[in-house]
Amino acid sequence: MTSPAAILSCSDLSIGHGHRVIMAGISFALAPGKILAIVGPSGCGKSTLLRALSGLDDPQGGNTSLLGIDLNVASNLERESILRRTGFLFQGSALFSSLTLLENVEMPLKEFSQAPRREIRQIAEYKLSLVGLADAMDKLPSEISGGMAKRAGIARAIAMDPEVIFLDEPSAGLDPLTSGRLDDLILKLRDTFKTTIVLVSHEIPSILRTADFCVYLDPDTGRMGAYQPPRGFLLPNAHPKAHAFFARAQLPT
Amino acid sequence: MSQTVPKAPLVRTDVQVDGLAVVVISGTWKLHDALPDITVKGDRVKVLAEGLEDFDSSLPAWIYGNFKNIRQLDLSQLPPRLQALVNLAEKSTHPEKSGEHESLLEQFGTWGVESSSSWSRALDHIGQTAWGFLRLVIGRARINWSDFSLQLQTTGVDALPIVALLGFLTGLIMAYVGLIQLRSVGATVYVANLVSLAMSREMGALMTGVIACGRTSTAYASQFGSMNVNQETDALRVLGINPVEYLGVPRILAVTLMVPLLAVFAAFIGVFGGMVVACAGDLSVSQYLTQAVRAITFKSFMVGFIKAIAFGFIAGWSGCYRGSVAKRSALGVGEAATSAAVLGITLIVIADAIFAVIFNLFNF
Repeated sequence: MTSPAAILSCSDLSIGHGHRVIMAGISFALAPGKILAIVGPSGCGKSTLLRALSGLDDPQGGNTSLLGIDLNVASNLERESILRRTGFLFQGSALFSSLTLLENVEMPLKEFSQAPRREIRQIAEYKLSLVGLADAMDKLPSEISGGMAKRAGIARAIAMDPEVIFLDEPSAGLDPLTSGRLDDLILKLRDTFKTTIVLVSHEIPSILRTADFCVYLDPDTGRMGAYQPPRGFLLPNAHPKAHAFFARAQLPT
Repeated sequence: MSQTVPKAPLVRTDVQVDGLAVVVISGTWKLHDALPDITVKGDRVKVLAEGLEDFDSSLPAWIYGNFKNIRQLDLSQLPPRLQALVNLAEKSTHPEKSGEHESLLEQFGTWGVESSSSWSRALDHIGQTAWGFLRLVIGRARINWSDFSLQLQTTGVDALPIVALLGFLTGLIMAYVGLIQLRSVGATVYVANLVSLAMSREMGALMTGVIACGRTSTAYASQFGSMNVNQETDALRVLGINPVEYLGVPRILAVTLMVPLLAVFAAFIGVFGGMVVACAGDLSVSQYLTQAVRAITFKSFMVGFIKAIAFGFIAGWSGCYRGSVAKRSALGVGEAATSAAVLGITLIVIADAIFAVIFNLFNF
C-alpha cells in the first residue's frame, strides 16, 4: 500500500514583501485530510506564508505544489481552477459589505455552480447555520460583530465544499464557546469531507486539539524552526523557541 | 457488478398509518446536480438511506433546508457522518424566524421614526456647523488649515474648465431661445440684456451651485463616509476634536468662498456665449456689449453674488452632512454621495425660490 500523495507541499520556500525576504527554508509535505497549523510570533510571516501556499501571492523563491499543480509553472487557468477548489478566510473576514451574509455565501455558488436558485439558497443557509449564524442571514456585514463576521467568512470559504481551506486566524476575536464550536466544525469538515485545512492561529489549546501537524516559524533565524505534530512541541527535546511558545500558552495565568 | 456511472439523487416518501413520514434517500448527491423536490405533510419524519452512494454538503443542506421545521425528525438510521453534519447545523438554529414582512402600518411607523431621527440628525449637524463657524470667528476653532488650501484648489481652480463650458453653453442657449421671441417683435438688440441679466442674476449662481453639488458635495460625502468606515472620525472624537469643526468647517468655508467667484466667472463666460450667437446673426459686437453692460446693474450683480454664497454653503454642508451620517460600508459611502448631490441640488432650488420671493418683496 502506498501512502497518499501530498495535497500541499513546498520545498525551500522563501516568502517576503517586495524584495525583502522575511522567512526562508520552509519545506513540508501535507497529506490530504490533514490539518496544518502555522504558528510563530507576531510579524514572522504567517499570513504571508498562507497567501503564498494558497497561490494568492507569489513567493520569493522555492517550490509549492497545491492539489498536484506546481504553482511556479501553473498557467493562469490552472491557478484559477486551484482557487475554485480552495477556500480562504481572510484575517479581516473580507465580506462584501453591500451584500447580506446569505448573499455573501451564495456568491461563489452562483458564480461557479450550475445548481438551481433554490438549492443554492439551501446550501448557503446550511453553511451559515454550520457556523451558528442561522438567525443573522439577512444582516449586512456592518450590522454584525467582528466574531460573527469571522464565522460568516468561514461559511463563505466552505460554500463550495473546497478540498483545501486556508484560514487566517479563524478564532481571533471569538469567545471561548464559539471558538470551541469552530474547532468542532474544523474537525467535522476534516472527518466527513476529508478536507485539508491550513490555518494560522495563536490559540495553542485549539491547535493542540485540531492540528495534525504544525509549522513553527522562527523570526530570529528567519527560517522554518520545525515541522511536526503539535504535541511534540510540548516535549522538552523539541525546538527550544517553539517549546517555549507552546509551554507559555499552557501556563495557568 | 461494479457501478461506474453515478446514480442521480433520488428520494421516496411513504406515509405510514400512524402519520410518520418515511423519507428514503439514495443515489449520489453532488453540489452541481439538481436535487429532488419534496413536500412532507405532518410533523414527524424519519429519514433513511438506501443505496446512498456518495454525497457532499448538498445532502446535509437539503435535509437541513427541508426538515428544519419538523418537530420530530429521526435521523438515527442515517450514516453517522451524515447525521453529524446535519446535527452540527441544527444546534445553531433558533426558533424565531428573521426576514418576516412588515405590515403597512409597521412600515409607516418605521418610516415616521426614521425620518424624524434623520431630521434631528440634520438639525444637529447644522448646529455643530454653526457652532464651528462661530468658534472660527472668535478664533477658538480647531481646524485643519492644510485641508483648507487644498479644498480651495479642488473646489475652485479645478472646477474652472467645467464651469466655463457649462456657463458658455447656458449663455448660448439663452441667446438662441431669446432671439426666437425677440425677432418676432423686432427687438433682437435686447437679447444682450436678456442674457447678461439672467446670467448675472440667476443662471451663473444656479449653474455653479449645481456643479458644486455634483463635484464637491459628492466628494465630501465620499471622504467623510470612508472616514466613518475606517473609524477615523471616531479617532478624532476620542481625541476631543469635533470632526465637523476640524474637517467640515474648512471644506464648507472653501466651497462657500469659491462658488461666488466661480459664479461671476460663469456669468461673464455666459455673456460671451450669448454674444457668439447674437453676433452670428443680427447684432454687432459693440452693440451687444453696450447693451450688456447697461443691463448688468450693481444690484443684479449683488443678487447673483449673494445667492452664490448661499448655494456654496448648501453644497458644502450637504456633502459633509450626508458623509458624516453614512453607513459604515462601501454601499453606505455610495449612498451618501448620491444623497449628498440630491439633497444639495434640492436645497439650492428651494433656496433660489425663497430668494426670488424675498428679493421681489424688497424690490431688489
